[in-house]
Amino acid sequence: MIGPELAAFFEQGVGIHIGTRNERLHPNGARAIAAKVESGGTQLVVYVSEVAASRLQVDLESNGQAAVVFGRPEDERSCQVKGVMVDIRPATDDEQPMLERQWDGFLNQLEKIGIPRVSSVNWTTWPAVAVRLKVTTIFEQTPGPQAGAQIA
Amino acid sequence: MTVTLESLATCFQGLLPSQLFTCSSDGIPNAAYLSHVEYVDSEHVALSFQFFNKSRRNIAENPHALVFVLDPDTGQGWSLRLKYVRSETAGPVFDRMALRIEAIASYCGLKGIFKLRAADIYRVASVEALPEANACDCARVTESKLDPVFTVKALQDLSARIQQAHCLETLVDSILEGLEESFGFRNSYILVPTDQEGVLVTMATRGYAVGSVGAEVRHGEGIGGMVAEARKPIRISGLLRGMLYALAMHKAESEPQLTRLTRQIPVPGIPNPESQLGVPLLVRGELVGVLCLESEVPYRFHEEDKASIELLGGYLAIAIQNMQWQERTAESAAEPEPARVDAASPAALRACTRTQHNVVYYAGDECILVDGEYLIRGLPAKILWRLLSTRDATGREEFTNRELRLDKSLNLPEWKDNLESRLLLLRRRLDQKCPSVRLAPRSRGRFALEIDGSVALNLQP
Repeated sequence: MIGPELAAFFEQGVGIHIGTRNERLHPNGARAIAAKVESGGTQLVVYVSEVAASRLQVDLESNGQAAVVFGRPEDERSCQVKGVMVDIRPATDDEQPMLERQWDGFLNQLEKIGIPRVSSVNWTTWPAVAVRLKVTTIFEQTPGPQAGAQIA
Repeated sequence: MTVTLESLATCFQGLLPSQLFTCSSDGIPNAAYLSHVEYVDSEHVALSFQFFNKSRRNIAENPHALVFVLDPDTGQGWSLRLKYVRSETAGPVFDRMALRIEAIASYCGLKGIFKLRAADIYRVASVEALPEANACDCARVTESKLDPVFTVKALQDLSARIQQAHCLETLVDSILEGLEESFGFRNSYILVPTDQEGVLVTMATRGYAVGSVGAEVRHGEGIGGMVAEARKPIRISGLLRGMLYALAMHKAESEPQLTRLTRQIPVPGIPNPESQLGVPLLVRGELVGVLCLESEVPYRFHEEDKASIELLGGYLAIAIQNMQWQERTAESAAEPEPARVDAASPAALRACTRTQHNVVYYAGDECILVDGEYLIRGLPAKILWRLLSTRDATGREEFTNRELRLDKSLNLPEWKDNLESRLLLLRRRLDQKCPSVRLAPRSRGRFALEIDGSVALNLQP
């Protein structure tokens, strides 16, 4: 479902945010650290710092619904993946280098739009949890006439 | 709420994208990036409604939303829990948001494409710090904060420069020079109204390629034209412009009939401005000009600078208008005795270089071309043609502002003709495009038309 080109975009180190909702349909959200496409593109693992994931965990465990938006500040490319949670677990030490690499890529993006790295020194990225989603739909969200179009 | 919206003013500049989380009535969450969250009052913010997207559809079904904003100075993230209240299609909030969008779209040469459908007003139920995005230890990190712009000292320095200016030309140059040396703004220009209704022209520039004096801007075009139209300062940070620019490019590609504005003289502009500021120069409601500043530094102009910016605009406007009146008053007292050319004058000696220029005046368009290249149009063109024709017919080289004012063929308005601004513009265009033809000041209200070589005049309908 998520093709190789889109997977490369998701995993290159861009802005990632995950949204959920509670039983009263009030939205919740958190910034994510990294993402990984698995199972031939049918699943997406989103890594969220533990302190942020605590806001989402109840929602995910009760209804499983999630939306993940990716944005690259450099050229405004944006894409949204919707899915349903498969499982949630602590991120492992083996995964930490991958998270750090993607996070570094995101900070590089921020630098390109004028936000120095010193702004992010107190942003928390570890420990993290891994939220595995079964992908249901994908939407193009880059500003332009195709914004909002379902692409998968 | 414990944290006030006022204290988050820096988050509402559009420098960094915000995130909007919504949910449909059937329980599907949605996450999207937002270019801007607008502060409305201590309990409300506004989000722009430009497109019928998923977020907007969700809000129509379920009024609860969540927005993340980030303080560009400290790195602190904030979570705002919102509830949709109403959509406004008129009023100050709508106007402010529409103006910003239009100014950016116009900057891309695509004015009128992006329409703000409504300013959606949301009540802010709570504001909470995002624990995963804590502020850095340093209180302020951006260059602009370490280097405050509109200090009293800088304003005093600029004022001192202005006091020393003895004519309109030195005044406008000293303003731009002072803005660079006292405020650090290396790229700036001043637009003044032309004799054509709703059209401005660059009279002075600093930090741009030679040749940008004389660029025309219509009301509503670019940041200068938008400021002239709205008569309010406009401040734009880089990211919002960038997002709309991306949209503009997509739109332009998909609709090839949309063409960019073609100009005889390009409007000044640095390639990648991160911050832009336009300030109307107003005296008792009259638009004397527009000051435009650009910077490659993101978030260069701050919300808290607004009062200083408006004060500066008013001060510069009075200084320019006073100088215009002073020049006109002094000129009335001068003796208007045109002198005939002296065979031994420097101008006559320079004529020995024998350069030949072909000057064509298109009377219908009131436009002058020199050697096939556009020079100037409108009233300055009529003035130049009148000077060249007189010199050609009588040999006279010296002229007075007063005789131009009395010349009915020029149709100068009796009140506020801005003749000095027109002559300054003409002088600068000649300096740039045809330096062998010069308007050389002789005394207040008196100048000489100096020409190296010869000029062939050609009148076209």
